[in-house]
Amino acid sequence: MKKHRGISYAKWGYLFILPFFIAYLLFSFLPQALTIYNSFFDNYRQGLTQIGPTFVGVKNYIKLFTPDKTGTIDILKYAGNTLILWVGGAIPQIVIALLLAVFFTSYRLKIKGQQFFKTVIYMPNLIMASAFSMLFFTLFSNVGPVNQLIQAWGWSDVPIDFFAKKVTVRTLICSMNFLMWFGNTTILLMAGIMGIDQNLFEAAEIDGANSVQVLFRVTLPLLTPILVYTVITAMIGGLQMFDVPQVLTNGAGNPNRTSMTLIMYLNNYLGGSKNYGMAGAISVIIFIITGILSLIVFRTLTKKD
Amino acid sequence: MKKLIAMLLALVMVFALCACGQQAAPAAAPAAEEAPAAEAAAPAADDAAAESGEGKVFNIYAWNEEFKGFFEKYYTVPEGVTVNWIIVPNQGSAYQDALDEALLAQADADDDEKVDMFLAEDDYILKYTNSEATQDIRALGVTDFSNAYTYTVQAASDANGVVKGVSFQCCPSALIYRRSIAKDVLGTDDPAEVQAKLDSWEKFEAVAADAKAKGYYMTSSEAEDYRVFSNNADAPWVDENGNLQFTDAIQTWMKQAKDFSDKGYTINADIWSDECTAQQFGDGKTMCFFGPAWYFNFCMGNAQDPEKGCMGDWAICEGPAAHYWGGTWLLAPAGTDNPTMLADVMNTFINDEDVCSKLVENEAQFCNNQAVNAKYAEDPNFGSEFLGGQNPNAVFVELATKIKFENHTIFDQHCNEKLQENWRQFCQGEVTEDEALANFYKAINERFPDVVTP
Repeated sequence: MKKHRGISYAKWGYLFILPFFIAYLLFSFLPQALTIYNSFFDNYRQGLTQIGPTFVGVKNYIKLFTPDKTGTIDILKYAGNTLILWVGGAIPQIVIALLLAVFFTSYRLKIKGQQFFKTVIYMPNLIMASAFSMLFFTLFSNVGPVNQLIQAWGWSDVPIDFFAKKVTVRTLICSMNFLMWFGNTTILLMAGIMGIDQNLFEAAEIDGANSVQVLFRVTLPLLTPILVYTVITAMIGGLQMFDVPQVLTNGAGNPNRTSMTLIMYLNNYLGGSKNYGMAGAISVIIFIITGILSLIVFRTLTKKD
Repeated sequence: MKKLIAMLLALVMVFALCACGQQAAPAAAPAAEEAPAAEAAAPAADDAAAESGEGKVFNIYAWNEEFKGFFEKYYTVPEGVTVNWIIVPNQGSAYQDALDEALLAQADADDDEKVDMFLAEDDYILKYTNSEATQDIRALGVTDFSNAYTYTVQAASDANGVVKGVSFQCCPSALIYRRSIAKDVLGTDDPAEVQAKLDSWEKFEAVAADAKAKGYYMTSSEAEDYRVFSNNADAPWVDENGNLQFTDAIQTWMKQAKDFSDKGYTINADIWSDECTAQQFGDGKTMCFFGPAWYFNFCMGNAQDPEKGCMGDWAICEGPAAHYWGGTWLLAPAGTDNPTMLADVMNTFINDEDVCSKLVENEAQFCNNQAVNAKYAEDPNFGSEFLGGQNPNAVFVELATKIKFENHTIFDQHCNEKLQENWRQFCQGEVTEDEALANFYKAINERFPDVVTP
């Protein structure tokens, strides 16, 4: 007896997602595989002379993890810088964005002019990061307006060299990243909160919960999926931090390379000498770090009590 | 109402973006700016180029507009040829990266895409002359170097003495001082008398102390006089075995830079920073700058500012030691499809007395033609408004004879830049000496893995 089979529409589904897979294969997977492949070669230019590619095994990785004379392992130092710069920007970014999202979606507050505020907080994100850094560079330079104000108000007789101190350079980078991204996060979180059933908020209120309790007992637990998504995407972006510190410190990550991020380090090998071997090895390390951190964040935030 | 506000905000945003784009883009984004031939060669004249059998597009790679200005004013482009400027700012290594890609792809490029001439500075000229990417210009018909300064020919030659380019300028570098400050500190602004008081480093340091006592800075950056030392080094940055070495000259500069910083004789800033160039305004407090003709006529724009500047309050003298700085060479890439025009451009800018005279007279250049320079050096009516009537050529003609092009390597640019950048942090007290040097070595090895650092 032949069983009648229904018409399958699945093939159309596959057909429609095919372009994505082709694009992914060509523009993401293949370059990634090539990067890993390249990291096992000596392959760079000295002046106009091409050196290599010669297979050298894991030499590039060994070089990356060899401590210098003072005992510092450079790549770990730069990974640390990157994390500090990311966390410094991401914590205020997520806290402020969460607060704003709660305020904007609160049916009790009913804030007027929401559209206006939402547009304004999103605006910094629309400016090119490098232009934004140039702006800050000019603002905070020794002869820039900020220093002129500081001197005019008598807070300091000599200009404050914002780009010579570790703390000020890092603070500037963190605040720029915060300014650029908190609007984006706010909008994401608002979407998340609006997706929560309003009945739950009302029920909590009838049960006598105050707004803090509502935030921690109702909003946050139900917002977890979106929050995890936000944190992980922010972290992937943060690990690839480049344009802001690169432009702000003129590519040097100074003082004492304390604001050199991993990608800036990678760029040092690429610019001028096209060192695909070392740059490839650094990329692979960044890939591994990103993977591990994403897993950790995912596990901690989705942990069931 | 809401829509109106949103619309307004959107507009404001767009304007803000435009404004940022205009100001920041040239410095921040090293995007190639392709200037599509403003010459507008008449399409009807295509036949002329076809007759000579040469390309119709002449591509020139450069990092700024300086030479473009001279070229457009003083060179008559043959009929039927379109000149295409590919200008990539120097920032980072953007210019060389773009140029290298083009040169390495030269053999396979379409005729209209081939590099036909490119500009290079003395700091990295060896990278190009000592490679297959450039060609012998004698073979192209540039043979008369009798009027060019010897060092400009040496600089453009490869290890075997094959000449591969010419410079349109000669760059003896002088001490450029503010007359008003010199009067206050030294009691005179006469170049000969000032020179007598600043002709050695001991005197220079003593005067620096006097200047400081009167509330002035001696230099606007601890790296201001770097070239005076580095040009007089007796050994290259990297020896024949690939070892990085600090010559005595460089070490002396390092000591002086720290000393000047500690004593407050100078400002700790990059020589191209806003802070440093702000010292060239009329209310600047800096007495001495160092640089050749191109420095005071092209880079000291702040001093020439009609409102805040101080035109005429400057003069030049030799200073503690003779040296030169920079200079732009026109190099001949191998595989150009416009060899005749290329040779013609080169000959024009070194041997055409008319053009060279105009460079001196109209552009305040110290050109690469000894006869022309000598003519102006002896001309009592020739003087620079910027220098308060002083005749710069009279000083430069003398200094030009002392220029040596020695001990250069392909590593120079990176070594010079990174040493200044890292040593500045030590001068500022932000890092220890060891940290500064370690960071310098790291920067060198990131670019040149084969150089052995101490």
